[in-house]
Amino acid sequence: MGRSAQRTEPILYNRLAVLRTERGLSRQDLADSLEVNYQTIGYLERGEYNPSIDLALRAAEFFGVPVEAIFSRKPFKPMSEQLYGPRGG
Amino acid sequence: MEGRSMVALAQQLPRRIRRVVAVATMLGLPGSYAWYATWSASTAPKAVWGPFSFVFLLVSVVGALVLYTYAGNRVSGKHLDERQRQLRDRAWVLSYSVLSIAVAAAVVGASIVVLGFDRTIVLDGRVMSGVTTCFGVLVPVLPFASFAWLEPEPPAED
Repeated sequence: MGRSAQRTEPILYNRLAVLRTERGLSRQDLADSLEVNYQTIGYLERGEYNPSIDLALRAAEFFGVPVEAIFSRKPFKPMSEQLYGPRGG
Repeated sequence: MEGRSMVALAQQLPRRIRRVVAVATMLGLPGSYAWYATWSASTAPKAVWGPFSFVFLLVSVVGALVLYTYAGNRVSGKHLDERQRQLRDRAWVLSYSVLSIAVAAAVVGASIVVLGFDRTIVLDGRVMSGVTTCFGVLVPVLPFASFAWLEPEPPAED
């Protein structure tokens, strides 16, 4: 869900790192499955590269979730907040 | 083994270093010719200024090797993913822009010298060999330099 300070294109937030870690995959494993370079996974996770529609759909298909569950134009809420609701201070 | 570690080392260069190498490579060879032209007309002993011409030249040669090693076949390779293809295309566009600006600057500079200061530029063999050598050596390096300039910092390892 990273973002770069130098970018000029719109930021696309993503949950690739969470989903990948959840499934115990290395970047290389995911890269092999999506047929991209392993560094591309790193750039995607850092939010420094916006994927094509084709790659986004391939990622969604691979993880078995809707594409909007992985990529969003707005920051994702923390997973804990989504699961257990917001905790007031 | 040694070769592979050199490649790995080059591919881990931080962006700031890559940018310095790219600029130094592009300026080294023309700088060598300019340095030589400046000093060869003077009466200063060659032993004093001569080695610096070699240093300028060396900067371009070593820089070009580093850039070729860094970019590898990612500038012209076929098996690239979509991000790499996008970066390669941006590198070619940047190369064309740099080349266009360099040619335009040379034409404008020459026009100013000829028209503004009423001086003559003699394109003799020495000048032409310098220009053609610079173009012949640096134009092929330019896409590699652009690629090294553009690529962001590599992501941290898993």
